[in-house]
Amino acid sequence: MLKREIDFLGNHRLFLIFSLTLVVIAIGSLAIRGLTFGIEFRGGTVINISEAEGISIDEVRSVFSEAGAIGVVVQSTEGGGYIVRTTESDADVANEIYREVFETLGLSTDVGEVSTIGPGWGRNITRAALLALSVSVAAILLYIAVRYEYKMSIVAVFTLVHDVLIVLGVYALVGREVTPNTIAALLTIMGYSLYDTIVVFHRIRENSMGLTRSTFTVMANHSLNQVIVRSLNTSITSIVPPLMLLLFGGETLGDFAFALVIGIILGAYSSIGVATPLYTAWKEREPKFRALAKRFGTA
Amino acid sequence: MDPKQRNLLSMAGVLVIAALAWWQFWPPGERITQGLDIQGGLSVILTAVETPETAVTDDVMNRAELIVRNRVDRLGASEVMIQRQGADSILVQLPGIANAQEALDALGSTGQLEIRDVVSTDPTTGEVVLGDVLLTGDVITDATVGTNPQTNEIEVNVTFDSEGAAAWAEITGARIGKQIAIVLDGNVESAPVVRDRITGGQTSITGNFTPEEARRLKTVLETGALPVSLEFSESRVVGPTLGQDSLRKGVFAALAGLGLVALYLAAYYRGFGVASWFALGLFASLFLGILSLLSNLGWFALSLPGIAGIVLTIGLAADSEILMIERFKEEVRGGKTYRSAARHGTRHAIGTSLDADLVTFVSALMLYTFAIGPVRGFALTLMIGLAIDILNMVFWSRSVIITLAETVVPKAPWLFGVKGGEADA
Repeated sequence: MLKREIDFLGNHRLFLIFSLTLVVIAIGSLAIRGLTFGIEFRGGTVINISEAEGISIDEVRSVFSEAGAIGVVVQSTEGGGYIVRTTESDADVANEIYREVFETLGLSTDVGEVSTIGPGWGRNITRAALLALSVSVAAILLYIAVRYEYKMSIVAVFTLVHDVLIVLGVYALVGREVTPNTIAALLTIMGYSLYDTIVVFHRIRENSMGLTRSTFTVMANHSLNQVIVRSLNTSITSIVPPLMLLLFGGETLGDFAFALVIGIILGAYSSIGVATPLYTAWKEREPKFRALAKRFGTA
Repeated sequence: MDPKQRNLLSMAGVLVIAALAWWQFWPPGERITQGLDIQGGLSVILTAVETPETAVTDDVMNRAELIVRNRVDRLGASEVMIQRQGADSILVQLPGIANAQEALDALGSTGQLEIRDVVSTDPTTGEVVLGDVLLTGDVITDATVGTNPQTNEIEVNVTFDSEGAAAWAEITGARIGKQIAIVLDGNVESAPVVRDRITGGQTSITGNFTPEEARRLKTVLETGALPVSLEFSESRVVGPTLGQDSLRKGVFAALAGLGLVALYLAAYYRGFGVASWFALGLFASLFLGILSLLSNLGWFALSLPGIAGIVLTIGLAADSEILMIERFKEEVRGGKTYRSAARHGTRHAIGTSLDADLVTFVSALMLYTFAIGPVRGFALTLMIGLAIDILNMVFWSRSVIITLAETVVPKAPWLFGVKGGEADA
């Protein structure tokens, strides 16, 4: 029983236009709006007041100013609390301000949190992040090249650059803060973006062995159709837990979840819309498959 | 052993391990150590700042760590964790926020080594009352541990610079037979008795030291000249109520995610979906078991980023189930018998999952290796989850699918969403 197949690769122009549009928007918002980096990168203090019943935002602001805090930005949270950012980067001073504010507001520090990052720390974090990012990419390139072939690995890495770029674009667009948690999530997205791509590639490689009866493109499209249900299902099951985290997890956990959710959606799309068309186009140039294309007509 | 027995044995093995895991982690609230962002407390990263003259070497960091330990010990706090992070940082974690300010003050002070007069010594406790400061640590250039060739006693040899040597000769000359105290950050580290006037800038301290004590004293003496300063890079004080609230939210999100995924699997894959509940349940049990085991060993504390890692792996575990079920169904559609579809399909699916898991594992490992601070907790739980997923797939899910395919599936194919494959050759 052969079901009707969806012609994914026949629509590769559509995917190309869609991806290009996303990438252009991403680059545009990165260029114009730029990324907002969290205090971990800039230095500064974040104070979390989780319960603040009957305390107005103006009150919070004025109490902080009176306590001598500088560069105060107050933001209310869904749970009825506040998140306050200041530019104070001395932990001792920040803690004194924190205690004073909680005392003035009549709150217990049991419901609070204060984090202070020193001014030089951002360099360390950035260096560690870049190192982890580049070594990961190199390791992934190597792994896929050894396990499959170099063309797959280059396409896979290209695809994940596409995904990560768009995720960063979303961060710039909505003005969400980039924190070390975001970086961790991005690294995971890289792994994840590859998950779907690998599922497809695995199948293409299997089907391409001893391929004589159709063109590479037809076979690749058939492979996509074979794995599409599982790709959709795995994307759904992997997106549900981070989505719950985004909805119910609170600040820190939501931080991870936001990047993960977008990344998983992109990973599912890009395995079909970016990785497979690119890889197929590249493979069609090989003499073996060009001969097949001649025999069976271009797909 | 025939394959059927092997499958049953493998399943029984996983069940026994899961039972052990339950015994290990129940009740999870007590058995799994909570990180400071959850139980509340102070977490500080101190970083050594390089000066033009001195690089931050391993030796410098060892000394810095000792200074930090010294400062924290003085607070009398229990369950303090002090750990080197990266090349130039030290992580200090103190549970509870009662003395957070005090701790920050202490950690922010500069290391001060002094040699002081001893006014009197309590004969029972050995506690000393300190007199004037005679010398500060910056005149010490070197300290080594050695054995006295005559007495075979372990001794700590100290070298002074020229200024220190002159002062030392004068100090010791005036105090033969008297006690002096070596004091670090106000803590008396050692109170030896002066035996002789010492000239030449070299002195030995003896006192029935164990090798360990001697090494410690050596480090204390060296810290006197710690050439770098320690600065706060990251400081975090979390109130216990807020931490517990975050934990509740995280656990709720994890359970909601797990529940929805389980429902989806059952709705889409029917019989196999319900079978995969057991796989997910085992996954969760093994995960908690390992976390509690690591907690027991003092190697793990659950942080919020750690929870994010766990939640993410729930999805990954479900993915592995889907890959196997889909592949089985596909092989059946392709005309294979249930039995060979199950064997062949699960093997292929495991191959695919393994690739995908390993690639994610590589990213997590890089994060764990290079990152500093809380995100390492995320990387750690992610790696543990991936490892459990692989084991669960190979030893549990594969056996279950094969066993089901050989027993129940042929009797009620509709329940498992498959058609054909009846003829079991």
